Amino acid sequence: MDAQKTQTPNHDEEELVLFLEPDQLVADRRRPLPRAKLSPRLTAFLLFARIAVTVFAGLAIYTFAAQLH
Amino acid sequence: MKPPAEAAALPLPSRPLTEEDLRRSEDRARVWLARLNGRRLMLLWLLVGPGVLVMLGENDGPSMLSYAATGAQYGVDFFLPFILVTFAMAYLCQEMVMRVAAVTHRGYGQLVLERFGPFWGWVAAGDLLLTNTVTLIAEFVAVRAGVAYFLGSSHFAGPVAAAIGVGLVAAALGLGRYWRWERFVLGLAVLNGLFVPAALLSHPHWHAVAKAVVTFSPFPGGSLQTLLLLLASTIGATVTPWMVFFQQSAAADKGLTPKDIRHGRYDTLGGAFLAAIFGCAALLAGAALHGHGGENPTGAGFPLALARVVGRPVGTLFALGLIEAGVVALLTISASTAYAFGECVGAANSFNNSPRRALLFYAVNVSVTMLAAVVILIPGAPLLSIALNANVLATVLLPVTLMFLILLANDRELMGSYVNSRLRNLAAGLIVGLVSLAGAAYAIESFLETVHVV
Repeated sequence: MDAQKTQTPNHDEEELVLFLEPDQLVADRRRPLPRAKLSPRLTAFLLFARIAVTVFAGLAIYTFAAQLH
Repeated sequence: MKPPAEAAALPLPSRPLTEEDLRRSEDRARVWLARLNGRRLMLLWLLVGPGVLVMLGENDGPSMLSYAATGAQYGVDFFLPFILVTFAMAYLCQEMVMRVAAVTHRGYGQLVLERFGPFWGWVAAGDLLLTNTVTLIAEFVAVRAGVAYFLGSSHFAGPVAAAIGVGLVAAALGLGRYWRWERFVLGLAVLNGLFVPAALLSHPHWHAVAKAVVTFSPFPGGSLQTLLLLLASTIGATVTPWMVFFQQSAAADKGLTPKDIRHGRYDTLGGAFLAAIFGCAALLAGAALHGHGGENPTGAGFPLALARVVGRPVGTLFALGLIEAGVVALLTISASTAYAFGECVGAANSFNNSPRRALLFYAVNVSVTMLAAVVILIPGAPLLSIALNANVLATVLLPVTLMFLILLANDRELMGSYVNSRLRNLAAGLIVGLVSLAGAAYAIESFLETVHVV
């Protein structure tokens, strides 16, 4: 199927696409969703978790590197 | 084939249609027809895929080596039932992933980026890139270990393993659409079952197996660092960041809808069940080496040690299993990287696109595999250490990935009536707590030991 054909679908192809839900179409999936509203408390918790995970990952990588020597 | 009556009543879509839309709609038409005609087995056949693939994909080379190493070190004990528990955890997490995909039709990377902003989206993608690169190297290590068993020398094993891995990833990408790619990888993934005859031929002590499963004992002794490493790596062998990215993107690429959630659960549960059985089988095979102090059951030595102690058929089956486990994980993990990258930069990211239309997706898929292949060809590279630490790194980085998954699964604007129940949130919260504890405990304890504080 070439690129030109997909831009101008024939009737059979248009009917076939009805087997998809409207928001399954590529054009719909590329439409950005609105940003979620995160409370300040949740944002702070996520940042804390992120920092903790980064520190622990750093410790694990340091241990791995030290074991190589 | 005529479209469903309720859809036929709607106006035809005015948006430009892509080859991705048309190929996915062909797959959905077959699902609709099977459902209409009440063909239950056909419907199940059409809808299974992402769940089985993600679970058997996570029974990868490092995981199977980790299970076998645990069996060799501790025998049949606490870790056998612990594997079953971790796969129950994996099911709970991956069911959420499948449900979010079926309702939103979008990948995890895209949803995090759009709902929580570019910072969180790119940080999640960065975590994925780091853990996936390390894990892909570890997969090649496992494939090389299996190949070395047959070649009788590790000199050519690296290049042969690299050729097998890169060749299969490239071949799978040439299949032209998601359905064919999925069936190809599923066909390889069922060979994960090779660990079952390997376990049976190693004559496990069934009384000890039954006792361990029922009592979670004996609890392993030894150093705290080794125990924490095994706990963290066993968790990392069953729940990892790439699984979240992969199953959500694959389920969206397959075209799952809310009507398919029940079958998506069968798919995920079936995958978890098979993966748990095969994982336990690897541990039981490794347990045959327990008490044989003269053996060195690590990496490439595992199949050879099994061949010496239990017999050549067990060594051969284990070596073939390692090659399969590594190859399937190469296919799924490279796909998860390509999906995530495409989602974050907003480029086409589907196996239903031709390489011409999704150049970036295909290029990332192959190049990340080739990068890992190049690393295993470097003389003197610390491959075994990388393989053993890959799962641990995944465990340490997993909690934040799971937190965003839980937020998405509770997002009523996105999920409507498909949000998590209270019970599921409680279970998910416990999983995040356990994973965080295991990852943090290992990281802190091993660091303190390394700098000689304890």
